[in-house]
Amino acid sequence: MNGHVSQSRIVRAGVLAAASVLAMTACAPSQSPSSSGSGSSEVPGTIVIGATLPLTGAESKTGGRYKQGYELAVEEVNNAGGIDIGGKKVKVELKLLDDTSDQAKAVNLAQRLITSDNVNAFLGTYSTSLVEAQSTVAEQSQIPYVNGGGAATSIYGKGYKWVFGDLAPVENLATTEMEWIDEQQKAGKLPKPAKIAVVWENTSHGEDFRKGIQEFADASGGAYDIVVDESFALNSNDFSAVLNKVEAANADMFMVDAHVPDFITMQRQYLSSGMCNKLVTYGARGTEADAQAALGQEGVNYILSAVWWNSQLGDEGLNKQFIDDYKKKYDAEPEWYQAVSYEAARALFTAMDNADSVDKTKVRDELSSMEMESILPGGKLSFPADKGGQASYPFVVQQNLPDGTSPIIYPADVATGEGVTPNPNCAG
Amino acid sequence: MSSTRTRTAGRRAGRGLPLWLSPKALGIFVVALVALYLAPLVLSLDGYLHNVVGLTFMFMAAGLAWNWLGGYVGQISFGHAAMFGTGGFVAARLAITFGLPFWLTWVVGGLVAGLYALIWGHPTLRLRGPYFSIATIGVGEATRLVATYWSDFTGGSSGLSLPIGNGPTKYELYWYGLYLLAAVVAISYWLRKSRIGLGLLAIKEDVEAAADVGVNATLYQDAVLFLSGFVVGICGGFYASYQAFIDPLDMFSFDRSISFVLIGVIGGIGTILGPAMGAIVFVVIQEFLLASYPQLYLGLYGTLLIIVILFEPLGLSGLLLRLGKRLGRKPPASTAAGGMGSASADPDGAPPVLTGVPGQDDSKGGTSA
Repeated sequence: MNGHVSQSRIVRAGVLAAASVLAMTACAPSQSPSSSGSGSSEVPGTIVIGATLPLTGAESKTGGRYKQGYELAVEEVNNAGGIDIGGKKVKVELKLLDDTSDQAKAVNLAQRLITSDNVNAFLGTYSTSLVEAQSTVAEQSQIPYVNGGGAATSIYGKGYKWVFGDLAPVENLATTEMEWIDEQQKAGKLPKPAKIAVVWENTSHGEDFRKGIQEFADASGGAYDIVVDESFALNSNDFSAVLNKVEAANADMFMVDAHVPDFITMQRQYLSSGMCNKLVTYGARGTEADAQAALGQEGVNYILSAVWWNSQLGDEGLNKQFIDDYKKKYDAEPEWYQAVSYEAARALFTAMDNADSVDKTKVRDELSSMEMESILPGGKLSFPADKGGQASYPFVVQQNLPDGTSPIIYPADVATGEGVTPNPNCAG
Repeated sequence: MSSTRTRTAGRRAGRGLPLWLSPKALGIFVVALVALYLAPLVLSLDGYLHNVVGLTFMFMAAGLAWNWLGGYVGQISFGHAAMFGTGGFVAARLAITFGLPFWLTWVVGGLVAGLYALIWGHPTLRLRGPYFSIATIGVGEATRLVATYWSDFTGGSSGLSLPIGNGPTKYELYWYGLYLLAAVVAISYWLRKSRIGLGLLAIKEDVEAAADVGVNATLYQDAVLFLSGFVVGICGGFYASYQAFIDPLDMFSFDRSISFVLIGVIGGIGTILGPAMGAIVFVVIQEFLLASYPQLYLGLYGTLLIIVILFEPLGLSGLLLRLGKRLGRKPPASTAAGGMGSASADPDGAPPVLTGVPGQDDSKGGTSA
């Protein structure tokens, strides 16, 4: 009896507690009044730019390259006295944190830099999946966010107003490669129809790549036949299942979209399983010094890649200045990673200079409307609103040759060498 | 002992409170709730700190929910990320695809997570000790792999971004985190002090003996696992709202599972105050070392874990108890009240008042030390 009484009390207390929780759920004090950007129209003592990059973790090497690009741009603008705001030269300070190639950390640190360190603007991190995560923070906090690391169209298709990217879409990367391949097929160097194995990382980056190839193949009227269509998780360590499928399908072309760590692992497993396709590409990968070091020259021979920039693009104007400055500071040849990060930072500084202000809205408006002289292909950089703030320009296709060079082989007007296909190492 | 029991029981019943609830604990609970509710309105915290405190509430709730299974029943789970991620992704999906209100997405996410926990938990809870823990590692990893490749649902390695402006702002999440924590603390207290608490303790000590005295171990464990999965699932939904973005690598990672274990172990397994304190340590280390030493914090957790297991198995709450004794004072009521296992020296910390389980002896709980 006592048990019954207490049990009903428990039930009653439980119901009461649940009801009160529900009632409270309906109410929470709303936005604090103190958080809107006050005093941003004044001229600050220094302009503080927040940034995160993968300085450790899977993408640490690439992150290090982006860091060089950002730092070079900051050094140049500070050597010139700073950015001109209201007639006063203001120096730039870069607050760069390590997101360890981890999406959640990239988000966390961005929140921290924006809400706690009150940075004036943000330079994005590297690799599409991290930028995709981080850009949401920028949009929420309404802070100008320029990145050189996010290339997938899905980042720019969300209607965000504060996010700008200087990497042209990955879909175009795939299409540009296919254009060169198509020329080779028409010249009789590749079979018709050619069997393609498409293997892509299951991120929006990979989806874009796959879409580009698929649409090209669909429009080709039967010249290309996709025989393998497989995805893999980012930073995997075993690709044997996928590679077996590719081998079993007897594909002519092995077309992969991967980031550097997955590219190196997969190519190593590809080589050790004795596979050889008439044409191999890993999307934007293949010309990295790291890849050459990890796989050896033999391991990267004839890999086709399409990239956003290459140092062979020009020895004049801005390009020459960038390459010279870079060589002076780092004593090495810049790759596209440094170029796009350098340009992202420069675009942000230029927008502040043009807006004559660090006011977030003014800088944002300037970014969405300006057109800047650039080292990127085409010579002009803009962030068109109809593309959601993503730059658009032609890719350059390169191929690794046994002599250690990687000439540009397409488009013809900037080509510095001749491409080779089918791979002469494959016995047939 | 038994006369004290009858006396307090009669007194509490006379005041209209359930037998398991002491007026002192209720008082502390209400005061703390009101204080925390008002704190940001009065103190005007720095925005970042305010958000981090809100996130800490969530980790406290998750740590406590993990503790129901790990501390009360003694079944250490290394797979709670499976429910955290399930709850988070169900909530995110519902918000993105159907535009449901956030609180509904959290609750549904929690329910799905709880059911998922039952699906793998019902068979594996028959295992005990390390065997159960190993099984949970397997469940966690398998769930992670499935989630990573199930791109249509989880967005694959890219994850999902939540629509901006639909859910609560981070500023508001502080209070939702507080409500969540309050509910979870109340449930923890109830689970600990009610008749069910005794049953769980009996299961922890000896499953067969518990069955002999009429405790249905399967039902009790399933119920606790469901409840634990439900709450951790809600925490996943909260986390998704907080980050405005989730990806399977983070939500389902082994690190995530370990973090719940860490919160429990650092704070003190089986107590109420323990996981709460553990969560504070966890978040402080994570947030404030993250920026300057991104790789160091993992090592720090490891070191802390070794120290705790070697020197103070009851974690921070054990340390507090010891400190209290050394100073010759009674430990804070909530530590003692929540302390299962070590607190038996203190009269308030003795096993909960019996509410009419026939044939169960008071001394059963006393063996836990």
